[in-house]
Amino acid sequence: MGFGLAIGVFGVLILAHAAYSTIQYRGLLKIMEEEFSGPPVNVVLELALGLVFCIWAALTVPGKFLSIHPQSEENRIVSLPDNVDFMMFNHRGKLFSSELDLKLKR
Amino acid sequence: MVTKTEETQLNRLESQVEHGGGGVWEYLCLVRKLKVRRSDKVLKHGLSILNDPKKRSSLGPDEWTLYEQVAVAAMDCQCLDVAKDCINVLHKRFPDSKRVGRLEAMLFEAKGSWEEAEKAYASLLEDNSLDPVIHKRRVALAKAQGNMLMAVECLNKYLNIFMADYDAWRELAEIYISLQMYKQAAFCYEELVLSQPTVPLYHLAYADVLYTLGGLENLQTARKYYSSTIDLTGGKNNRALFGICLCTSAIAQLTKGRNKEDKDSPDLSSLAAAALEKVYKQGASDKLPILTLALKNLRVSS
Repeated sequence: MGFGLAIGVFGVLILAHAAYSTIQYRGLLKIMEEEFSGPPVNVVLELALGLVFCIWAALTVPGKFLSIHPQSEENRIVSLPDNVDFMMFNHRGKLFSSELDLKLKR
Repeated sequence: MVTKTEETQLNRLESQVEHGGGGVWEYLCLVRKLKVRRSDKVLKHGLSILNDPKKRSSLGPDEWTLYEQVAVAAMDCQCLDVAKDCINVLHKRFPDSKRVGRLEAMLFEAKGSWEEAEKAYASLLEDNSLDPVIHKRRVALAKAQGNMLMAVECLNKYLNIFMADYDAWRELAEIYISLQMYKQAAFCYEELVLSQPTVPLYHLAYADVLYTLGGLENLQTARKYYSSTIDLTGGKNNRALFGICLCTSAIAQLTKGRNKEDKDSPDLSSLAAAALEKVYKQGASDKLPILTLALKNLRVSS
């Protein structure tokens, strides 16, 4: 958890650094009066790395993935709840009542 | 809805509690959450918490929920003294509560004094004529007296108001099945499949009803619903697999004279039979010859 979060923060920092480098490069182009031909290699590399780190952190930090398959163990319904709202009391359990000798103490 | 994970958790907690390994409160909470009926165990272990002042006070406000749970469990086990004591404690704490009034009426039911219970429910309904739980209790009251037609009538009236109560739809379907009114039961299960299409057990129950009704068209639909059950459970429902075999055999018998080709899926039943044989080989290999014989009699395994 802590490790994943650290990676995520690191990824965001790299992205911020890429933004800063881009602004700097733009200023440099203006000073040298050159045409824009493409982003510099270090910015592209930083962007790619930051993207990978951020995705990895976003997938691991918030929690585990849950199955969406209906047949998986967490989702497969094996029995319906007994309808306790419609519970009846005159059943054959009456005949076994003497077995239990319980009392609520005060 | 009880999923496979929850079922294993419940069984594990139950054996742990039965062998005195603690976790009683977690067990009771799970029983309440899953709405399963384990009245004898709830009564035994719930009382052990209630009789221990230290454990009881550590629950805080949940104590009263436990009193209610134990009271209902005690009525189910016909330990009416315990139920009465629990209700008295609750009555002292909440003198004007409708919920306690309902428990008192349920105690009349457990005693078998139907008229008094009916009167108590009627007076509770006067205060709040749209209390769903009390309407359901009246249905249960009619059912307990063996008056099924009255129960059906009450339940239909109730469902006119509370159409989204799928537990009530299921109850109605079960009552209709017990009365052998399969067409009406099928209608109820259609409602259930519509409202919760991902629950395989409704598909299964609907298919069972259709198979019981019989006739070529119903059998074909039943086979489709058995197939959807298999689809939703990943083939782990043996009843659906058997259903496929039985449906195929019944359809083959009906269409024998006409020599109609089964164009839907000719190998569906042999696949189901193979899956069944695999399950039996793994779980109960001594029963495998019986299964093979039964499948051969149905003429589904090639």
